[in-house]
Amino acid sequence: MENLLANCVEKNLSQFMFTNAIFFCERLLAEFPSEVNLQLLARCYLSNSQAYSAYYILKGSKTPQSRYLFAFSCFKLDLLGEAETALLPSEDNVDEVPGGAAGHYLLGLVYRYAGRKNSSIEQFRMALSFDPLCWEAYRELCSLGAAEEASTVFGNVAFQRLQETFVTQRINFSEGANINQLTDSDKASRDTSLWRTEHVPGENQQDLKIRQLGADIPPDTDRQLNTNGWDLNTPSPVISQVLDAPPPLLHKNMLRSAVEGSLMSVHGGRRIKFSEEMSAEATEGSGRRRSARIAARKKIPMSQSFGKDSYRLHLSPSESNCVPSLSSMIEKCRIQSSKEATTSGQSISDIGSSVDDEENKNPSESSPDSSSLISGISEVLNLLRILGDGHRHLLMYNCQEALLVYQKLSLKQYNTHWVLVQVGKAYFELQDYFNADSTFTLAHQKYPYALEGMDTYSTVLYHLKEEMRLGYLAQELISVDRLSPESWCAVGNCYSLRKDHDSALKMFKRAIQLNERFTYAHTLCGHEFAALEDFEGAERCYRRALSIDTRHYNAWYGLGMTYLHLEKFEFAEHQFQLALKINPRSSVIMCYYGIALHESKKNDEALNMMEKAKLTDAKNPLPKYYKANILASLGDYHKAQKVLEELKECAPQESSVHALLFNIYKQLKLYDKAVLHFGTALDLNPSPSDAVKIKAYMERLVIPDELAMEENL
Amino acid sequence: MATESSESEEEGKIRGGNDKLIIEEDLREMSKNAAWSVSSCKPGNGVTTLRDDNLETYWQSDGLQPHLINIQFQKKVKLQLVVLYVDFKLDESYTPSKISIRAGDGFHNLKEIKSVELVKPTGWVCLSLSGTDPRETFVNTFMLQIAILSNHLNGRDTHIRQIKVYGPRPNPIPRQPFQFTSMEFLTYSTLR
Repeated sequence: MENLLANCVEKNLSQFMFTNAIFFCERLLAEFPSEVNLQLLARCYLSNSQAYSAYYILKGSKTPQSRYLFAFSCFKLDLLGEAETALLPSEDNVDEVPGGAAGHYLLGLVYRYAGRKNSSIEQFRMALSFDPLCWEAYRELCSLGAAEEASTVFGNVAFQRLQETFVTQRINFSEGANINQLTDSDKASRDTSLWRTEHVPGENQQDLKIRQLGADIPPDTDRQLNTNGWDLNTPSPVISQVLDAPPPLLHKNMLRSAVEGSLMSVHGGRRIKFSEEMSAEATEGSGRRRSARIAARKKIPMSQSFGKDSYRLHLSPSESNCVPSLSSMIEKCRIQSSKEATTSGQSISDIGSSVDDEENKNPSESSPDSSSLISGISEVLNLLRILGDGHRHLLMYNCQEALLVYQKLSLKQYNTHWVLVQVGKAYFELQDYFNADSTFTLAHQKYPYALEGMDTYSTVLYHLKEEMRLGYLAQELISVDRLSPESWCAVGNCYSLRKDHDSALKMFKRAIQLNERFTYAHTLCGHEFAALEDFEGAERCYRRALSIDTRHYNAWYGLGMTYLHLEKFEFAEHQFQLALKINPRSSVIMCYYGIALHESKKNDEALNMMEKAKLTDAKNPLPKYYKANILASLGDYHKAQKVLEELKECAPQESSVHALLFNIYKQLKLYDKAVLHFGTALDLNPSPSDAVKIKAYMERLVIPDELAMEENL
Repeated sequence: MATESSESEEEGKIRGGNDKLIIEEDLREMSKNAAWSVSSCKPGNGVTTLRDDNLETYWQSDGLQPHLINIQFQKKVKLQLVVLYVDFKLDESYTPSKISIRAGDGFHNLKEIKSVELVKPTGWVCLSLSGTDPRETFVNTFMLQIAILSNHLNGRDTHIRQIKVYGPRPNPIPRQPFQFTSMEFLTYSTLR
C-alpha cells in the first residue's frame, strides 16, 4: 500500500494535481510514518505554495534532505535566521551544508537578503565549485560585483567536476526513465534547447524516483524495480553522492561496477538526475517549486513511449549512457532572461532553478560513449563561459565588451530572449536608445510571454518619448500577466511620460507590492517622488532600493539628483561619486558630478569632469553645454562662447544653447549677435518660464541700446 | 502686476464652464505645498472640501461678504492659472458671481491682480493670472487670495466645489538656467 500511495503521490505531483497529492500523502504518512514520507509531504506542500505547512511538519528534522526542504520553507516564509541554522552544518548534523550546491546557493541567498555580503559571496562560490552548472550562483556573484572571470569558473576545474559527477550517474542509469520530456510545444524556439537539470538534494528523491520508476514500468523487466529495489535506495553511495561529498574512491567504484551501455544490468539504487530539455522558458514568474519540477521530471516517457518531441537524449536503453545525467547536485541552472533584480525574488522558489544551455546537437549524439559526454560537457561549459563573461561585463557596466562577447554566440543562442535582453540592456546602459529599442522590440516580438527585462524596455521607450508604443507595450504586458512587477513598471512609465506622476507612483507601488525585492521599481518610485518634488519620499525610496542592491547605480544617481535639488551639494557630490564607482562609463553621471562640483565651488574639478564626460561619450552634447555654463558663470565669456558655437553646429535646434549664447553675447556687448540668438531661442519653443526669462533679459538689453542712441543724437 | 478693475464689462465676464478639466502639459498643480484657509464656513462644509477632488462636496461660507479663500506658500512661487469648479444649475444663488484674485506677501499687502464676473458658470472655470505683457505670464508671490465679492441672485453665502492652482513646471535638471527642448539634449539629460 505504501508503494501504491507513494506512486500515486508522485504521479500527482508530476501532473500538478497538488491537492490530490497532499490528500494521498497524508494518508501515506498516517499509515507509514517515516522521514521519507514526511519529506514527500513537505514537497507536496511546497508545490502547492504552502510553505508554512512544510515549515511546520519539517521542524526539527535532521536528515539533510529534510533540512534542505525546511530551510527552503523558512526562506519562503522570510524566516532567514531559521533557514540559516537549518542549512549550516553543526556538530550533531552532517558536517556540511545539505543539498550540496543548491544548499549553498540557498544559504547564499539567505545571507544576501540579510545583507551579509561577504558570507553570501562565499556561499555562491562554494555552490559553483560543487556544481559548475549552478548558473544562478554565478549571476548572483555578478550582481554583487564579485564574480570571477567566466573562464576560471567554467574552466577546467568545472570540467573535471562535471565529468566526475556525470560519469557516476551514467552507471545505474535507468534508461530514459528519468528523462522527462517536458518539452513545451514551443519547439519553434530551437534557438534555445535548454536542458533542465534537476537538483535532487537528497536520497529521498532517489527513493521517489525509483518508486515511480517501479510503478511506471512494471512490464519492463529491464528496469523492473520491485519493492526490493527501494532498499537499494539507501545504500551509502547514494547518500554520499547526494551529499556531494563523495569520496572520489566511491565514484570510481561505481564506474568499475558499471557496465557501459548495459544499464539493464544495473538498476536500482541509483537514481538519476535527468537532464531535460525544455524550450526556453524564460518566464519564471510561475514560481514553480523545484521539487515539483523534480517530480515532474520523473514523469517519464518511458522507453516505449518516447512520445514527446525532439531533442531526446536517451534514445534507448542501450544508449542511455549518453544521457547527460546530471550530478547528484542537480541544480537547475537556468539562463534567465531577467536581470538579477527581477529574478532574485522569483527564482527563489526554484532555488536557482535553471536550465542549462546545451548545444542542440547534443541530442543527436547517440553514441553511448564517454567521449560524447566529454564533448557535451565542454560544449556546455563553452557556452556558459561566453554567457558568463557577457553577463559579468554587463553588470560591471563594460557594455562594449559585453556586446562583443555576446556577438560570439551562435545565432541560435543569440536570438534567445535572455541574450537579447542582455544585449538590449547593454545598449541601454550606453545610452544608445535606438539600438536598445530595436533589440528589445525583437525580443518582445519573438517572445511576447517573456516579461523579464521588459521594464528596461519600457524605460527605453520612455527615453525615446514613444508614448504610443509604450502604452501599447504596457497593455500587452498587463494582459500577459497582471501579477508581474515588470508589467506595472511599464504602466507606470507610461503615466510618467504623460507627466501624470501621481498615477505613475501608484503603479510603481503596485509593482513593489508584487515583489518587494524588485529594485528598479523602488528607484522608479523615487524618480516619481522627485518629479512631484517630494524629496523626502524620493530619498526614502532610493535608499530602500539601495538596501536591496547596493550596486544599483540608478538609485545613487537619483539620490544625487535629489540632493542637488535640495542644494546639499556635498552630499550630491558623494552620491555621484559612488554612482561613478559602480558605473565608470556613464557620461550623464559625470555631467551631474561636474555640476555638483561647480556648485560646491570646485570649478577646476568640475571642468575636468566635463572634459572626461566629453571623452567618454562623444555623442553626448551636454558636457559641452554644462562646460559653457560653468565658464560663463565664472565670467570667462570668450571661452564659453567658443564652446557654445561649436555646440551650436552639432545641435542647432536646441533653444537653451541659443539662450545661453544670447546671454553671453550680451555680456560681451556684441548686441547684434545677442539679438540674433534671442530671436532663435524664442523661435525654438522654449518652455514658457524660459520664454519669460529670455524676454526679461531682452528688456534689460534694449535699454543700454536706447541710451547709446540717445547719446548719439 | 495690478490689472485695473475698471476694465470693460465685456472683458471681465466669463460664461459657462467646462465639464472636463484639461490642463496644458507644462503646468502643474501647486496646491500641495500651500496652506489653505477660508474666512468662514458652515460645519461639515469646510476648507477640506475644496481640495478633496470630489465634486459632490462643496465649501459653504457662513458670514459676510466678501468671502475669502487664502492660499499661502512657504516660498515665492510662480503661478499661472486658477481653476474653480462652480455650477449654477446645482447651486443657484450660492454660485459666486464677482470674483477678485489678489496676491501679495501676506494679508497686509495684497493687491488685486485679476477681477472677473462669472455668468451662470457650469463647470470648471479657468482664470488665467497672466497679464497682457508676455513677461507677465506668471505671478510670483507668497500668497494668493480669492475673494468672492458677490453671488448670483444676490445670495449671501457661496458654494465652491473645487479649486486648483497651477504654475509652471520646474526645470527637472537642477541648477540650470534653461530647460532643454531638443531630443538629443533631453535623451542625455537624465537617467532613469
